[in-house]
Amino acid sequence: MTPTRKGTIYLSEGDVEKGVLDFMKQALSQGCFDAVLIPTRVSAGDSVAYSLIRDEALLEGASPLPPIMPVQGARAISSITRRGKRNKIIAAVVRPCEARATVELAKLGQANLEDIILVTVDCPGVMPLADYFRSAEDGDKTFRDASETWDSEPMRPVCSICDKFSASGAEDLHIGTLGAKSGTMVLIPSSGKGESVLSKLGLSMEDDISSWEGGVERLTQERKQKRNESHNGLRSEIEGIDRLLESFSRCINCHNCMRVCPICYCRQCYFDSDKMKFNFEDYLTRARVRGVLKVPTDTLLFHIGRMLHMSLSCVSCGMCEDACPMNISVGQIFSLVGDRNQEAFSYVPGRSIDEALPLTTFEQGEFQEVEQSHSVFSVKEKQNG
Amino acid sequence: MGKRIGVYVCECGTNIADNVNIDRVIEAVSPLRDVAIVEKYGLLCSEAGKEFLKQSIKEHDLTHLVLAACSPKQHEMTFMNVCQEASLNPYLLQMVNIREQCAWVTSDKEEAAEKAIRQIRAAISRVRWHVSLEKKEMDVCPDVLVIGGGIAGIKASQLLGSPDRRVYLVEKSSSLGGKVKGFDKLFTAMDSGSALIEKEVKSLLGAQNIEELTDSEVEQILGFFGNFEARVAKKGENGERNLSVGAVILATGFDLMDPTGLPQYGYGKLDDVYTSLEFEQMNMPSGPSGGKILLKNGKTPESVAIIHCVGREEKGYCSRVCCVYSLKFARMLKSQLPDAKISQLYSDLCIPGKSYQKFYEETKDLGINFVRAAKTTVTQNTKAVAVKYEAENGSKGELAVDMVILVPAMEPSGDTNRFAEMLGIPLDEEGFPVAEHRLLGPVASSVEGVFVVGCAQGPKNISETIVQSEAAAGKILSSLVPGRKLELEVRTSEISETFCTGCKMCISVCPYSAISFDEVRRIAVVNEALCHGCGVCAATCPSGAASVKNFGFPQIYQEVVELVR
Repeated sequence: MTPTRKGTIYLSEGDVEKGVLDFMKQALSQGCFDAVLIPTRVSAGDSVAYSLIRDEALLEGASPLPPIMPVQGARAISSITRRGKRNKIIAAVVRPCEARATVELAKLGQANLEDIILVTVDCPGVMPLADYFRSAEDGDKTFRDASETWDSEPMRPVCSICDKFSASGAEDLHIGTLGAKSGTMVLIPSSGKGESVLSKLGLSMEDDISSWEGGVERLTQERKQKRNESHNGLRSEIEGIDRLLESFSRCINCHNCMRVCPICYCRQCYFDSDKMKFNFEDYLTRARVRGVLKVPTDTLLFHIGRMLHMSLSCVSCGMCEDACPMNISVGQIFSLVGDRNQEAFSYVPGRSIDEALPLTTFEQGEFQEVEQSHSVFSVKEKQNG
Repeated sequence: MGKRIGVYVCECGTNIADNVNIDRVIEAVSPLRDVAIVEKYGLLCSEAGKEFLKQSIKEHDLTHLVLAACSPKQHEMTFMNVCQEASLNPYLLQMVNIREQCAWVTSDKEEAAEKAIRQIRAAISRVRWHVSLEKKEMDVCPDVLVIGGGIAGIKASQLLGSPDRRVYLVEKSSSLGGKVKGFDKLFTAMDSGSALIEKEVKSLLGAQNIEELTDSEVEQILGFFGNFEARVAKKGENGERNLSVGAVILATGFDLMDPTGLPQYGYGKLDDVYTSLEFEQMNMPSGPSGGKILLKNGKTPESVAIIHCVGREEKGYCSRVCCVYSLKFARMLKSQLPDAKISQLYSDLCIPGKSYQKFYEETKDLGINFVRAAKTTVTQNTKAVAVKYEAENGSKGELAVDMVILVPAMEPSGDTNRFAEMLGIPLDEEGFPVAEHRLLGPVASSVEGVFVVGCAQGPKNISETIVQSEAAAGKILSSLVPGRKLELEVRTSEISETFCTGCKMCISVCPYSAISFDEVRRIAVVNEALCHGCGVCAATCPSGAASVKNFGFPQIYQEVVELVR
């Protein structure tokens, strides 16, 4: 277990959303930041969107912990900060996976965190869009009930195996609810920015928050086990080129998964570009070689390309799977591939802004086992042996 | 005009002809689209072969050329020159290595033919997508910045200064001469170091076009081989000078390892424990004691212990000159204090070289006590300094002496890290700049146009240092000729403004620091003068924005499709 942290026990009335909003209102009115980026119900009431709010009164309509995630918060933060600082401080209230993706985007030069205070809340998960939109009213109730008991059943499949649903180091300030005594939340600063918010509000940071820590630890262990089991099962379904082809055989090349992915940051996806459009004769050649060619071509190559490009930064948010019209388990597959790749580099996306992207660093002695297993000598030895 | 591709198969004497059924290859390749001519030839790289090729290119009015022959490493330049002579853009040539990659790795002539056909087909497919590229040349500045005014810097400057080449010799202290200036005697001739340096510095005054910048620090170096910009500041003065130079020689020398970090030697705590450099200074006629070897209390020592290899274990390397200069110390002591008892506590004597053995034997004959010692410690006795050690046979020994001279390891000078960072040169495990090649490129660094010489590069004696200075000067004289232009790599990387999204991954992986970030357009930009076309950026860029000319997606894709189908 991580060394015991200190934080603030914050008294709150009503549900989690109200508690978070009360705190954010207080902090905005005390000048801890100039604006708040936060999910807000759309006027029809059946969906949410990120809103940049400067007027304290308008925070009332915000929904800090909505049942769905139509847009990944990292994309929202990237869109407003990509062009650098603006000397106004914005507090962004996002889910932990959104905060982690934001840190990855900052490393990739697609977001600037200098003026951003990332605020995260213990996350019960989000529901698949399709489930929620069958009836928003029922969806709200299902979500409310499930989040109270931390039942992940109605949530996105990757949410139900998420083991990074709480403070992760990516955020500046975390709001803990899990295991907190009723009528209270815990505020845990993870950076100087987070501390300065609490000290500006005159809040002590020396409260004992061990009951929250215990709650998080228990669920983390439970989820880790579940994640392992789920990944092991999935692995046997997708391992090898034939099974992988099968897993993506329903794909209709809409590339929605790429468009909603918080990490896919290319200005234009290579697979959408003209570079992947070949001459008529090239297609004929390929058809002649195999006797048959599925068109449009390179469906699996697109997914493998995406795995290659973004899996080291994949935060398992599940946006891709939610956006897939063909119900392909793309989020689960990417979370499995992501975990394995990240493990190989001992890299945790979003853990720290100071941790360099694995592909940009070289360590003498890394992957020697790979080098050795592919060296000419070992191949010869195998042949001889 | 349509494409007219010429395919020539070289028999390479019997190398290829004996192992590949070339006639079958010709038959298979001839009907391919755009192929204007397929011919075989005995030895294309011979004078007659080159002439044949040149005439054939012209005769058949070829637009692209595929040569199935040896490795491009061996003869690509040869055949590019032939193309040039035949007025065909040399970048429209693709070589196919059917010798090393085909003829030499099989004994089955027919299978070899199959493979060669595949390889040639792939090359035809790829060369179709090649574009003409133009050779690029750049004006260069022949001037040289030499950092460090010790013997290494002085000797390099002497060779480099000429009417058409200015040398800036930057020294951070107030005068030239470096460490050697402080040596009263040099091994093995026992002549004066300060006199030697004085002569060398004088000869600089008479030399042409050498500017000495003493009391000066190099604060920044930007640019690349042929075009560096250095910023130099003079101590105590406002304003800086910006110097344009084509090459940089780093001759920043060494420091001695500070023995206070090794408390077993008592340095800094006991009165009469000195480092080798302090002992050298004591012997200088211009020094505080007027060249007399004296203890702190003003008396002359009756016994002296010289302890070798101080810090060798910690450093992990031998400083290679200490044994010999310790012999020199024994002689200096004996000549001033003939009755003094002198002990050398060594762990391994390292005295190679044609004059050193004699020097050792003569020194030994002076009655010097040589002790092979381990686990040496220095403590204070009631009257003298106690040197305790373990002898070779394991027995414990102890010497009571008046003076101890420690011989510490030589380490990179304190500025090394700063310069390495400034110039982008990696350091080795010992903290010295890494040479371009351990054996083949000892004075060049990994950065083109930057040379590291003398003790800045590793411990060495004066003549070894001068060899390096002269080597670096020679490299500069032959590569940075005034008035001559520098030929640049043509197949460089280019970054598409449309696709680049400014993630800077390419910048962090480029080994040549050839990519920079344009803050206004928020995209990465390649400096073609620095780019070597290695392609690491292209492999890293997820957007496909970076690619190397004629090694881009279309060329490689077309090549691979043909290879695998």
